[in-house]
Amino acid sequence: MHGLFRWSSKWWPGTIPLAILWGIAAWSNTVPLETDLAARSTTALKDTVLDKTQITVDGRDVNFAADAFSEDGRRNAVAAVEAVPGVRLVNDETRLVPEAKPFVWSAERDVVRVTLGGSAPLPASKSKLVEAAHAALGNVEVADQMNLSRGAPPRFDAAALLLIEQIAKLKDGKITISDNKVSLSGMARELGGREAIATGLKNLPEGFSVAADDIKAPPYVFQAYKDPVAVTLTLTGYVPDDKVHAALVASAGRKFFNEKVVDNLKASVGAAGGFAAAVGPALGALSRLSTGTLVVSDRELKLSGDAFYDAAAVQIRAGLGKDFPQGWQFKADISVKPAAAPVDATVCQQLFSDLLGRGNIRFLPGQAAIDPDSAGLLDRLIETALRCPSANIEIAGHTDADGEDGFNQALSEKRAQAVMDYLVKAGLPADRFTAVGYGSTQPIASNETDEGKAHNRRIEFVVR
Amino acid sequence: MSYLAMFHWGWLLGALLLGFVAGWISVVQRGRSVSKVTARWLALLVAALLAAALARVIPGRPGYWLDLGLMLFALYLVGCTIGSWLRHWAVSRPTSAA
Repeated sequence: MHGLFRWSSKWWPGTIPLAILWGIAAWSNTVPLETDLAARSTTALKDTVLDKTQITVDGRDVNFAADAFSEDGRRNAVAAVEAVPGVRLVNDETRLVPEAKPFVWSAERDVVRVTLGGSAPLPASKSKLVEAAHAALGNVEVADQMNLSRGAPPRFDAAALLLIEQIAKLKDGKITISDNKVSLSGMARELGGREAIATGLKNLPEGFSVAADDIKAPPYVFQAYKDPVAVTLTLTGYVPDDKVHAALVASAGRKFFNEKVVDNLKASVGAAGGFAAAVGPALGALSRLSTGTLVVSDRELKLSGDAFYDAAAVQIRAGLGKDFPQGWQFKADISVKPAAAPVDATVCQQLFSDLLGRGNIRFLPGQAAIDPDSAGLLDRLIETALRCPSANIEIAGHTDADGEDGFNQALSEKRAQAVMDYLVKAGLPADRFTAVGYGSTQPIASNETDEGKAHNRRIEFVVR
Repeated sequence: MSYLAMFHWGWLLGALLLGFVAGWISVVQRGRSVSKVTARWLALLVAALLAAALARVIPGRPGYWLDLGLMLFALYLVGCTIGSWLRHWAVSRPTSAA
Protein backbone atom coordinates (compact mmCIF):
# COMPACT_ATOMS: atom_id res chain seq x y z
CA MET A 1 0.00 0.00 0.00
CA HIS A 2 2.83 2.30 0.86
CA GLY A 3 4.25 1.59 -2.61
CA LEU A 4 1.03 2.71 -4.17
CA PHE A 5 1.23 6.08 -2.46
CA ARG A 6 4.80 6.43 -3.57
CA TRP A 7 4.02 5.55 -7.13
CA SER A 8 0.93 7.72 -7.22
CA SER A 9 3.03 10.79 -6.54
CA LYS A 10 4.53 10.15 -9.97
CA TRP A 11 1.27 9.63 -11.85
CA TRP A 12 0.80 13.31 -12.57
CA PRO A 13 2.63 13.46 -15.95
CA GLY A 14 -0.14 11.35 -17.51
CA THR A 15 -2.73 13.96 -16.55
CA ILE A 16 -1.44 16.28 -19.23
CA PRO A 17 -2.36 13.94 -22.13
CA LEU A 18 -5.47 13.04 -20.13
CA ALA A 19 -6.54 16.67 -20.12
CA ILE A 20 -5.94 16.82 -23.85
CA LEU A 21 -7.98 13.63 -24.26
CA TRP A 22 -10.75 15.16 -22.16
CA GLY A 23 -10.75 18.29 -24.27
CA ILE A 24 -11.01 16.36 -27.52
CA ALA A 25 -13.70 14.05 -26.12
CA ALA A 26 -15.75 17.01 -24.91
CA TRP A 27 -15.34 18.86 -28.20
CA SER A 28 -16.34 15.92 -30.37
CA ASN A 29 -19.05 14.34 -28.21
CA THR A 30 -21.14 17.22 -26.93
CA VAL A 31 -23.34 17.73 -29.99
CA PRO A 32 -23.83 13.99 -30.75
CA LEU A 33 -24.74 13.38 -27.09
CA GLU A 34 -27.25 16.23 -27.12
CA THR A 35 -28.80 15.02 -30.38
CA ASP A 36 -29.07 11.48 -29.05
CA LEU A 37 -30.70 12.60 -25.80
CA ALA A 38 -33.18 14.79 -27.70
CA ALA A 39 -34.13 11.85 -29.91
CA ARG A 40 -34.54 9.53 -26.91
CA SER A 41 -36.66 12.11 -25.06
CA THR A 42 -38.90 12.58 -28.10
CA THR A 43 -39.30 8.81 -28.41
CA ALA A 44 -40.18 8.57 -24.71
CA LEU A 45 -43.01 11.09 -25.28
CA LYS A 46 -44.36 9.29 -28.33
CA ASP A 47 -47.47 7.95 -26.62
CA THR A 48 -48.13 11.04 -24.54
CA VAL A 49 -50.74 13.56 -25.73
CA LEU A 50 -49.15 16.99 -25.67
CA ASP A 51 -49.27 20.16 -27.68
CA LYS A 52 -46.47 22.54 -28.65
CA THR A 53 -43.82 20.13 -27.40
CA GLN A 54 -40.33 21.64 -27.46
CA ILE A 55 -37.26 19.73 -26.39
CA THR A 56 -33.82 21.31 -26.34
CA VAL A 57 -30.82 19.63 -24.76
CA ASP A 58 -27.96 21.50 -23.16
CA GLY A 59 -25.23 19.04 -22.20
CA ARG A 60 -27.17 16.35 -20.35
CA ASP A 61 -29.92 18.75 -19.24
CA VAL A 62 -33.23 18.69 -21.09
CA ASN A 63 -35.34 21.83 -21.41
CA PHE A 64 -38.83 20.48 -21.82
CA ALA A 65 -41.71 22.79 -22.75
CA ALA A 66 -45.16 21.50 -23.67
CA ASP A 67 -48.87 22.05 -23.17
CA ALA A 68 -50.54 19.12 -21.45
CA PHE A 69 -54.23 18.32 -21.33
CA SER A 70 -54.39 17.09 -17.75
CA GLU A 71 -52.27 17.37 -14.61
CA ASP A 72 -51.62 13.62 -14.66
CA GLY A 73 -50.61 13.77 -18.29
CA ARG A 74 -48.26 16.62 -17.54
CA ARG A 75 -46.58 14.81 -14.62
CA ASN A 76 -46.27 11.59 -16.57
CA ALA A 77 -44.65 13.42 -19.47
CA VAL A 78 -42.05 15.02 -17.21
CA ALA A 79 -41.39 11.67 -15.52
CA ALA A 80 -40.98 9.99 -18.89
CA VAL A 81 -38.29 12.48 -19.91
CA GLU A 82 -36.57 12.23 -16.52
CA ALA A 83 -36.41 8.45 -16.95
CA VAL A 84 -34.51 8.68 -20.24
CA PRO A 85 -31.03 7.15 -19.62
CA GLY A 86 -28.32 9.80 -19.73
CA VAL A 87 -30.60 12.71 -18.87
CA ARG A 88 -29.24 14.50 -15.82
CA LEU A 89 -31.84 17.19 -15.17
CA VAL A 90 -35.17 18.18 -16.71
CA ASN A 91 -36.04 21.85 -16.73
CA ASP A 92 -39.78 21.51 -16.52
CA GLU A 93 -41.43 24.28 -18.49
CA THR A 94 -44.63 22.34 -19.15
CA ARG A 95 -48.02 23.80 -18.42
CA LEU A 96 -51.63 22.86 -18.70
CA VAL A 97 -53.63 23.87 -21.76
CA PRO A 98 -55.93 26.73 -20.72
CA GLU A 99 -59.48 25.78 -19.85
CA ALA A 100 -62.20 27.34 -22.01
CA LYS A 101 -65.37 28.37 -20.22
CA PRO A 102 -67.74 28.21 -21.98
CA PHE A 103 -66.19 25.73 -24.38
CA VAL A 104 -66.99 27.22 -27.78
CA TRP A 105 -66.36 25.61 -31.16
CA SER A 106 -67.56 26.94 -34.48
CA ALA A 107 -67.63 26.13 -38.16
CA GLU A 108 -68.32 29.04 -40.46
CA ARG A 109 -68.95 28.78 -44.17
CA ASP A 110 -68.74 31.53 -46.73
CA VAL A 111 -68.52 31.42 -50.49
CA VAL A 112 -64.98 30.11 -50.80
CA ARG A 113 -64.06 28.46 -47.55
CA VAL A 114 -65.02 26.82 -44.31
CA THR A 115 -63.32 28.15 -41.21
CA LEU A 116 -63.12 25.94 -38.17
CA GLY A 117 -62.62 28.07 -35.09
CA GLY A 118 -62.94 28.11 -31.33
CA SER A 119 -61.62 25.31 -29.18
CA ALA A 120 -60.91 21.66 -29.72
CA PRO A 121 -60.16 19.35 -26.80
CA LEU A 122 -57.19 17.36 -28.16
CA PRO A 123 -54.82 17.50 -31.13
CA ALA A 124 -56.27 14.20 -32.35
CA SER A 125 -59.83 15.52 -32.39
CA LYS A 126 -58.63 18.73 -34.01
CA SER A 127 -57.06 16.85 -36.90
CA LYS A 128 -60.05 14.52 -37.08
CA LEU A 129 -62.37 17.51 -37.49
CA VAL A 130 -60.22 19.08 -40.19
CA GLU A 131 -60.08 15.75 -42.00
CA ALA A 132 -63.84 15.32 -41.75
CA ALA A 133 -64.35 18.84 -43.11
CA HIS A 134 -62.14 18.04 -46.10
CA ALA A 135 -64.06 14.84 -46.72
CA ALA A 136 -67.48 16.46 -46.36
CA LEU A 137 -66.75 19.56 -48.41
CA GLY A 138 -64.79 18.22 -51.34
CA ASN A 139 -62.88 21.01 -53.00
CA VAL A 140 -63.86 23.79 -50.61
CA GLU A 141 -60.91 25.28 -48.75
CA VAL A 142 -60.83 24.42 -45.05
CA ALA A 143 -59.15 26.95 -42.75
CA ASP A 144 -58.19 25.59 -39.35
CA GLN A 145 -58.20 28.29 -36.69
CA MET A 146 -58.99 26.03 -33.77
CA ASN A 147 -57.16 26.38 -30.46
CA LEU A 148 -56.70 23.57 -28.02
CA SER A 149 -58.48 23.97 -24.70
CA ARG A 150 -59.61 21.90 -21.79
CA GLY A 151 -63.20 21.76 -20.65
CA ALA A 152 -64.93 20.14 -23.63
CA PRO A 153 -68.31 18.57 -22.90
CA PRO A 154 -68.49 14.76 -23.12
CA ARG A 155 -69.00 13.36 -26.66
CA PHE A 156 -67.81 16.67 -28.14
CA ASP A 157 -66.09 14.95 -31.08
CA ALA A 158 -69.21 13.10 -32.17
CA ALA A 159 -71.29 16.28 -31.99
CA ALA A 160 -68.76 18.35 -33.94
CA LEU A 161 -68.39 15.65 -36.62
CA LEU A 162 -72.15 15.56 -37.06
CA LEU A 163 -72.25 19.34 -37.39
CA ILE A 164 -69.47 19.32 -39.98
CA GLU A 165 -71.71 17.07 -42.07
CA GLN A 166 -74.44 19.67 -41.71
CA ILE A 167 -72.22 22.60 -42.74
CA ALA A 168 -71.76 20.86 -46.08
CA LYS A 169 -75.48 21.41 -46.66
CA LEU A 170 -75.17 25.17 -46.15
CA LYS A 171 -74.38 27.76 -48.80
CA ASP A 172 -73.21 30.11 -46.10
CA GLY A 173 -73.70 30.27 -42.38
CA LYS A 174 -72.30 29.37 -39.04
CA ILE A 175 -72.68 26.47 -36.64
CA THR A 176 -71.56 26.94 -33.06
CA ILE A 177 -71.27 24.63 -30.09
CA SER A 178 -71.18 26.46 -26.77
CA ASP A 179 -70.72 23.88 -23.99
CA ASN A 180 -73.55 21.58 -25.01
CA LYS A 181 -75.80 24.02 -26.85
CA VAL A 182 -75.79 24.06 -30.63
CA SER A 183 -76.69 27.18 -32.64
CA LEU A 184 -77.10 27.27 -36.38
CA SER A 185 -77.64 30.13 -38.77
CA GLY A 186 -77.30 30.72 -42.49
CA MET A 187 -78.74 29.72 -45.81
CA ALA A 188 -79.22 26.14 -46.96
CA ARG A 189 -77.55 25.17 -50.20
CA GLU A 190 -80.62 23.57 -51.69
CA LEU A 191 -84.34 23.45 -51.25
CA GLY A 192 -85.02 20.96 -48.51
CA GLY A 193 -81.58 21.61 -46.99
CA ARG A 194 -83.19 23.10 -43.91
CA GLU A 195 -85.23 19.95 -43.40
CA ALA A 196 -82.23 17.71 -44.08
CA ILE A 197 -80.23 19.59 -41.43
CA ALA A 198 -83.08 19.36 -38.95
CA THR A 199 -83.19 15.60 -39.55
CA GLY A 200 -79.42 15.36 -39.10
CA LEU A 201 -79.60 17.23 -35.80
CA LYS A 202 -81.83 14.54 -34.35
CA ASN A 203 -78.71 12.36 -34.16
CA LEU A 204 -76.86 14.79 -31.89
CA PRO A 205 -75.17 12.84 -29.10
CA GLU A 206 -76.82 12.64 -25.72
CA GLY A 207 -76.48 15.82 -23.68
CA PHE A 208 -76.38 18.17 -26.64
CA SER A 209 -79.35 20.29 -27.61
CA VAL A 210 -80.19 22.84 -30.28
CA ALA A 211 -80.42 26.32 -28.76
CA ALA A 212 -81.15 28.19 -31.98
CA ASP A 213 -81.83 26.98 -35.50
CA ASP A 214 -81.95 29.99 -37.83
CA ILE A 215 -81.24 28.14 -41.04
CA LYS A 216 -83.05 29.60 -43.99
CA ALA A 217 -83.78 27.80 -47.21
CA PRO A 218 -83.64 29.37 -50.67
CA PRO A 219 -87.11 30.51 -51.79
CA TYR A 220 -89.40 27.74 -52.95
CA VAL A 221 -90.20 28.93 -56.44
CA PHE A 222 -92.89 27.78 -58.81
CA GLN A 223 -93.51 29.58 -62.11
CA ALA A 224 -96.07 29.27 -64.85
CA TYR A 225 -95.84 31.28 -68.04
CA LYS A 226 -98.61 31.44 -70.58
CA ASP A 227 -97.16 32.30 -73.95
CA PRO A 228 -99.82 33.29 -76.54
CA VAL A 229 -97.37 33.24 -79.44
CA ALA A 230 -95.95 29.76 -78.89
CA VAL A 231 -99.33 28.67 -77.50
CA THR A 232 -97.67 27.02 -74.54
CA LEU A 233 -97.93 26.97 -70.80
CA THR A 234 -94.48 26.51 -69.32
CA LEU A 235 -94.26 25.21 -65.75
CA THR A 236 -90.90 25.58 -63.99
CA GLY A 237 -89.63 25.34 -60.43
CA TYR A 238 -90.63 22.97 -57.67
CA VAL A 239 -93.59 21.00 -56.47
CA PRO A 240 -93.80 19.19 -53.13
CA ASP A 241 -94.07 15.64 -54.49
CA ASP A 242 -94.98 13.50 -57.50
CA LYS A 243 -98.63 13.32 -56.53
CA VAL A 244 -99.05 17.09 -56.46
CA HIS A 245 -96.96 17.26 -59.62
CA ALA A 246 -99.30 14.92 -61.53
CA ALA A 247 -102.40 16.66 -60.16
CA LEU A 248 -101.10 20.10 -61.16
CA VAL A 249 -100.17 19.04 -64.67
CA ALA A 250 -103.53 17.31 -65.16
CA SER A 251 -105.38 20.36 -63.87
CA ALA A 252 -103.31 22.62 -66.17
CA GLY A 253 -104.25 20.38 -69.09
CA ARG A 254 -107.96 20.92 -68.32
CA LYS A 255 -107.70 24.65 -67.68
CA PHE A 256 -105.48 25.49 -70.62
CA PHE A 257 -107.54 23.86 -73.35
CA ASN A 258 -105.58 25.52 -76.11
CA GLU A 259 -102.02 25.54 -74.84
CA LYS A 260 -99.46 22.80 -74.84
CA VAL A 261 -98.24 22.24 -71.29
CA VAL A 262 -94.43 22.26 -71.06
CA ASP A 263 -93.61 20.57 -67.78
CA ASN A 264 -90.21 21.44 -66.32
CA LEU A 265 -91.19 20.92 -62.70
CA LYS A 266 -89.05 19.12 -60.15
CA ALA A 267 -90.23 17.57 -56.92
CA SER A 268 -88.59 18.87 -53.78
CA VAL A 269 -89.34 19.18 -50.11
CA GLY A 270 -89.53 22.61 -48.49
CA ALA A 271 -92.82 23.87 -49.90
CA ALA A 272 -94.94 26.13 -47.73
CA GLY A 273 -98.06 24.53 -46.28
CA GLY A 274 -101.11 24.78 -48.56
CA PHE A 275 -98.99 24.87 -51.71
CA ALA A 276 -101.42 22.84 -53.84
CA ALA A 277 -104.46 24.68 -52.48
CA ALA A 278 -102.95 28.04 -53.45
CA VAL A 279 -101.36 27.13 -56.76
CA GLY A 280 -104.43 25.31 -58.17
CA PRO A 281 -106.76 28.34 -58.15
CA ALA A 282 -103.90 30.60 -59.23
CA LEU A 283 -103.37 28.44 -62.31
CA GLY A 284 -107.12 28.81 -62.97
CA ALA A 285 -106.73 32.58 -62.84
CA LEU A 286 -103.74 32.42 -65.17
CA SER A 287 -105.81 30.40 -67.64
CA ARG A 288 -108.16 33.38 -67.89
CA LEU A 289 -105.37 35.69 -69.09
CA SER A 290 -104.43 36.11 -72.71
CA THR A 291 -100.79 36.28 -71.66
CA GLY A 292 -99.48 36.10 -68.16
CA THR A 293 -97.03 34.88 -65.59
CA LEU A 294 -97.62 33.25 -62.25
CA VAL A 295 -94.70 33.34 -59.81
CA VAL A 296 -94.92 31.58 -56.47
CA SER A 297 -92.08 32.25 -54.03
CA ASP A 298 -92.52 30.58 -50.65
CA ARG A 299 -95.90 31.95 -49.49
CA GLU A 300 -96.02 34.84 -51.90
CA LEU A 301 -97.92 34.51 -55.12
CA LYS A 302 -97.73 37.04 -57.91
CA LEU A 303 -99.94 36.96 -60.96
CA SER A 304 -99.45 39.39 -63.81
CA GLY A 305 -100.82 39.60 -67.32
CA ASP A 306 -103.69 40.73 -69.51
CA ALA A 307 -107.31 39.73 -69.03
CA PHE A 308 -109.57 39.45 -72.06
CA TYR A 309 -112.07 42.07 -70.91
CA ASP A 310 -112.69 44.43 -67.99
CA ALA A 311 -115.12 42.29 -66.00
CA ALA A 312 -112.71 39.34 -66.16
CA ALA A 313 -109.91 41.49 -64.74
CA VAL A 314 -112.14 42.52 -61.84
CA GLN A 315 -113.28 38.93 -61.21
CA ILE A 316 -109.71 37.62 -61.22
CA ARG A 317 -108.49 40.31 -58.82
CA ALA A 318 -111.37 39.77 -56.46
CA GLY A 319 -111.70 36.01 -56.73
CA LEU A 320 -108.22 34.70 -56.33
CA GLY A 321 -107.29 35.75 -52.81
CA LYS A 322 -110.53 34.40 -51.36
CA ASP A 323 -109.81 30.69 -51.30
CA PHE A 324 -106.21 31.05 -50.25
CA PRO A 325 -104.73 29.05 -47.38
CA GLN A 326 -103.79 31.09 -44.35
CA GLY A 327 -100.50 32.95 -44.41
CA TRP A 328 -100.32 33.22 -48.18
CA GLN A 329 -100.00 36.58 -49.84
CA PHE A 330 -101.39 37.40 -53.20
CA LYS A 331 -100.40 40.17 -55.54
CA ALA A 332 -102.21 40.65 -58.82
CA ASP A 333 -101.00 42.94 -61.55
CA ILE A 334 -103.76 42.45 -64.10
CA SER A 335 -104.34 44.76 -66.99
CA VAL A 336 -106.82 44.35 -69.80
CA LYS A 337 -105.85 43.34 -73.28
CA PRO A 338 -106.72 46.03 -75.87
CA ALA A 339 -110.02 45.15 -77.51
CA ALA A 340 -109.65 43.29 -80.78
CA ALA A 341 -111.13 44.77 -83.96
CA PRO A 342 -114.86 44.07 -84.53
CA VAL A 343 -115.71 41.33 -87.02
CA ASP A 344 -118.85 40.45 -88.95
CA ALA A 345 -121.20 37.64 -88.10
CA THR A 346 -119.56 35.06 -90.39
CA VAL A 347 -116.12 35.54 -88.92
CA CYS A 348 -117.66 35.56 -85.48
CA GLN A 349 -119.23 32.15 -86.12
CA GLN A 350 -115.91 30.86 -87.40
CA LEU A 351 -114.13 32.07 -84.28
CA PHE A 352 -116.75 30.40 -82.01
CA SER A 353 -116.54 27.11 -83.92
CA ASP A 354 -112.77 27.25 -83.84
CA LEU A 355 -112.68 27.81 -80.06
CA LEU A 356 -115.26 25.15 -79.28
CA GLY A 357 -113.51 22.78 -81.65
CA ARG A 358 -110.41 22.98 -79.50
CA GLY A 359 -112.10 22.72 -76.12
CA ASN A 360 -115.47 21.92 -74.61
CA ILE A 361 -117.23 23.85 -71.90
CA ARG A 362 -117.18 21.40 -68.99
CA PHE A 363 -119.88 20.88 -66.42
CA LEU A 364 -119.94 19.03 -63.14
CA PRO A 365 -121.07 15.44 -63.89
CA GLY A 366 -124.85 15.19 -64.31
CA GLN A 367 -125.32 18.84 -63.34
CA ALA A 368 -125.72 22.18 -65.02
CA ALA A 369 -123.01 23.91 -62.97
CA ILE A 370 -120.06 25.01 -65.08
CA ASP A 371 -116.73 23.45 -64.11
CA PRO A 372 -114.41 26.30 -62.97
CA ASP A 373 -111.72 24.77 -65.22
CA SER A 374 -113.65 26.11 -68.24
CA ALA A 375 -113.29 29.76 -67.17
CA GLY A 376 -110.46 30.31 -69.64
CA LEU A 377 -112.48 29.02 -72.57
CA LEU A 378 -115.54 31.03 -71.53
CA ASP A 379 -113.44 34.22 -71.36
CA ARG A 380 -112.28 33.61 -74.92
CA LEU A 381 -115.89 33.04 -76.03
CA ILE A 382 -116.99 36.27 -74.30
CA GLU A 383 -114.13 38.18 -75.94
CA THR A 384 -115.30 36.87 -79.31
CA ALA A 385 -118.94 37.79 -78.59
CA LEU A 386 -117.76 41.31 -77.75
CA ARG A 387 -116.19 41.57 -81.20
CA CYS A 388 -119.53 41.10 -82.98
CA PRO A 389 -121.90 43.30 -80.98
CA SER A 390 -124.64 43.18 -83.57
CA ALA A 391 -124.87 39.42 -83.89
CA ASN A 392 -127.50 37.39 -82.08
CA ILE A 393 -126.25 34.12 -80.77
CA GLU A 394 -127.97 30.88 -80.00
CA ILE A 395 -126.35 28.89 -77.22
CA ALA A 396 -127.18 25.28 -77.97
CA GLY A 397 -126.83 22.51 -75.38
CA HIS A 398 -126.37 18.86 -76.36
CA THR A 399 -125.99 15.65 -74.38
CA ASP A 400 -124.98 12.09 -75.18
CA ALA A 401 -127.59 9.35 -75.48
CA ASP A 402 -127.03 7.93 -71.96
CA GLY A 403 -130.03 8.25 -69.65
CA GLU A 404 -133.60 9.22 -70.33
CA ASP A 405 -134.44 11.63 -73.12
CA GLY A 406 -136.47 13.89 -70.83
CA PHE A 407 -133.57 14.21 -68.38
CA ASN A 408 -131.13 14.84 -71.21
CA GLN A 409 -133.40 17.45 -72.72
CA ALA A 410 -133.76 19.27 -69.43
CA LEU A 411 -130.01 19.00 -68.69
CA SER A 412 -129.09 20.37 -72.10
CA GLU A 413 -131.43 23.31 -71.60
CA LYS A 414 -130.11 24.04 -68.13
CA ARG A 415 -126.53 23.85 -69.29
CA ALA A 416 -127.18 26.20 -72.21
CA GLN A 417 -128.89 28.56 -69.78
CA ALA A 418 -125.98 28.36 -67.35
CA VAL A 419 -123.60 29.40 -70.12
CA MET A 420 -125.89 32.23 -71.12
CA ASP A 421 -126.09 33.42 -67.50
CA TYR A 422 -122.32 33.35 -67.32
CA LEU A 423 -122.09 35.57 -70.42
CA VAL A 424 -124.68 38.00 -69.11
CA LYS A 425 -122.88 38.17 -65.79
CA ALA A 426 -119.74 39.12 -67.70
CA GLY A 427 -121.59 42.19 -69.05
CA LEU A 428 -123.04 41.01 -72.35
CA PRO A 429 -126.62 42.06 -73.09
CA ALA A 430 -129.05 39.21 -72.41
CA ASP A 431 -131.21 40.01 -75.46
CA ARG A 432 -128.43 38.94 -77.84
CA PHE A 433 -128.55 35.34 -76.62
CA THR A 434 -131.02 32.52 -76.65
CA ALA A 435 -130.38 29.34 -74.75
CA VAL A 436 -131.69 26.20 -76.44
CA GLY A 437 -131.45 22.56 -75.35
CA TYR A 438 -131.45 19.73 -77.88
CA GLY A 439 -130.95 16.79 -75.57
CA SER A 440 -129.34 13.91 -77.43
CA THR A 441 -131.17 14.54 -80.69
CA GLN A 442 -128.24 15.98 -82.65
CA PRO A 443 -125.23 13.74 -82.08
CA ILE A 444 -122.03 14.58 -83.98
CA ALA A 445 -120.34 11.28 -83.12
CA SER A 446 -121.26 7.73 -82.25
CA ASN A 447 -122.95 7.23 -78.90
CA GLU A 448 -121.48 3.73 -78.76
CA THR A 449 -118.04 4.77 -77.58
CA ASP A 450 -116.93 6.88 -74.63
CA GLU A 451 -114.98 9.12 -76.98
CA GLY A 452 -118.02 9.64 -79.17
CA LYS A 453 -120.20 10.40 -76.15
CA ALA A 454 -117.71 12.96 -74.93
CA HIS A 455 -117.93 14.71 -78.29
CA ASN A 456 -121.70 14.67 -78.16
CA ARG A 457 -121.82 16.33 -74.73
CA ARG A 458 -121.24 19.88 -75.92
CA ILE A 459 -122.32 23.52 -76.08
CA GLU A 460 -122.42 25.19 -79.48
CA PHE A 461 -122.57 28.89 -80.31
CA VAL A 462 -124.62 29.56 -83.41
CA VAL A 463 -124.65 33.09 -84.85
CA ARG A 464 -128.11 33.95 -86.25
CA MET B 1 -24.08 6.07 -15.74
CA SER B 2 -24.13 2.96 -17.87
CA TYR B 3 -25.50 5.10 -20.74
CA LEU B 4 -22.53 7.48 -20.40
CA ALA B 5 -20.09 4.57 -20.20
CA MET B 6 -21.56 3.04 -23.36
CA PHE B 7 -21.62 6.35 -25.18
CA HIS B 8 -17.96 7.21 -24.33
CA TRP B 9 -16.44 3.74 -24.11
CA GLY B 10 -13.67 4.51 -26.57
CA TRP B 11 -12.52 7.58 -24.71
CA LEU B 12 -12.75 5.83 -21.36
CA LEU B 13 -10.65 2.97 -22.69
CA GLY B 14 -8.15 5.56 -23.88
CA ALA B 15 -8.01 7.07 -20.39
CA LEU B 16 -7.56 3.59 -18.87
CA LEU B 17 -4.65 2.80 -21.22
CA LEU B 18 -3.10 6.18 -20.62
CA GLY B 19 -3.35 5.54 -16.87
CA PHE B 20 -1.84 2.07 -17.35
CA VAL B 21 1.15 3.54 -19.15
CA ALA B 22 1.57 6.33 -16.56
CA GLY B 23 1.38 3.76 -13.73
CA TRP B 24 3.80 1.42 -15.48
CA ILE B 25 6.37 4.17 -15.83
CA SER B 26 5.88 5.67 -12.38
CA VAL B 27 7.39 2.63 -10.57
CA VAL B 28 10.84 3.13 -12.01
CA GLN B 29 10.71 6.82 -12.75
CA ARG B 30 13.13 9.09 -10.97
CA GLY B 31 11.51 12.36 -11.82
CA ARG B 32 9.84 14.93 -9.62
CA SER B 33 7.16 13.77 -7.21
CA VAL B 34 4.14 15.66 -6.10
CA SER B 35 4.58 16.86 -2.53
CA LYS B 36 2.21 15.57 0.10
CA VAL B 37 0.74 19.00 0.65
CA THR B 38 0.07 19.47 -3.05
CA ALA B 39 -1.38 15.96 -3.23
CA ARG B 40 -3.81 16.81 -0.46
CA TRP B 41 -4.87 19.98 -2.17
CA LEU B 42 -5.35 18.10 -5.38
CA ALA B 43 -7.41 15.41 -3.61
CA LEU B 44 -9.50 18.13 -2.06
CA LEU B 45 -10.03 19.71 -5.45
CA VAL B 46 -11.11 16.40 -6.98
CA ALA B 47 -13.44 15.75 -4.04
CA ALA B 48 -14.98 19.19 -4.48
CA LEU B 49 -15.49 18.61 -8.19
CA LEU B 50 -16.96 15.19 -7.47
CA ALA B 51 -19.32 16.72 -4.95
CA ALA B 52 -20.33 19.38 -7.47
CA ALA B 53 -20.99 16.72 -10.08
CA LEU B 54 -23.06 14.58 -7.73
CA ALA B 55 -25.02 17.60 -6.52
CA ARG B 56 -25.59 18.58 -10.15
CA VAL B 57 -24.93 22.22 -9.39
CA ILE B 58 -23.13 23.05 -12.61
CA PRO B 59 -25.72 23.43 -15.35
CA GLY B 60 -25.73 22.59 -19.04
CA ARG B 61 -22.66 21.73 -21.05
CA PRO B 62 -20.08 22.57 -18.35
CA GLY B 63 -21.88 20.10 -16.09
CA TYR B 64 -21.61 17.42 -18.75
CA TRP B 65 -17.96 18.22 -19.36
CA LEU B 66 -17.26 17.90 -15.63
CA ASP B 67 -18.98 14.50 -15.56
CA LEU B 68 -16.98 13.40 -18.55
CA GLY B 69 -13.72 14.71 -17.05
CA LEU B 70 -14.29 12.94 -13.75
CA MET B 71 -15.12 9.68 -15.48
CA LEU B 72 -11.98 9.90 -17.58
CA PHE B 73 -9.97 10.78 -14.47
CA ALA B 74 -11.43 7.84 -12.53
CA LEU B 75 -10.56 5.45 -15.33
CA TYR B 76 -7.08 7.04 -15.52
CA LEU B 77 -6.55 6.34 -11.82
CA VAL B 78 -7.70 2.76 -12.23
CA GLY B 79 -5.29 2.38 -15.15
CA CYS B 80 -2.45 3.91 -13.08
CA THR B 81 -3.11 1.53 -10.21
CA ILE B 82 -3.16 -1.55 -12.43
CA GLY B 83 -0.07 -0.37 -14.32
CA SER B 84 1.88 0.32 -11.14
CA TRP B 85 0.98 -3.00 -9.55
CA LEU B 86 1.84 -4.95 -12.64
CA ARG B 87 5.17 -3.15 -13.09
CA HIS B 88 6.02 -3.57 -9.46
CA TRP B 89 5.21 -7.26 -9.71
CA ALA B 90 7.29 -7.58 -12.89
CA VAL B 91 10.26 -5.71 -11.40
CA SER B 92 10.26 -7.38 -7.98
CA ARG B 93 9.82 -11.03 -9.12
CA PRO B 94 13.41 -11.77 -10.31
CA THR B 95 14.74 -10.23 -7.12
CA SER B 96 12.53 -12.34 -4.90
CA ALA B 97 13.36 -15.41 -6.97
CA ALA B 98 17.05 -14.70 -6.52
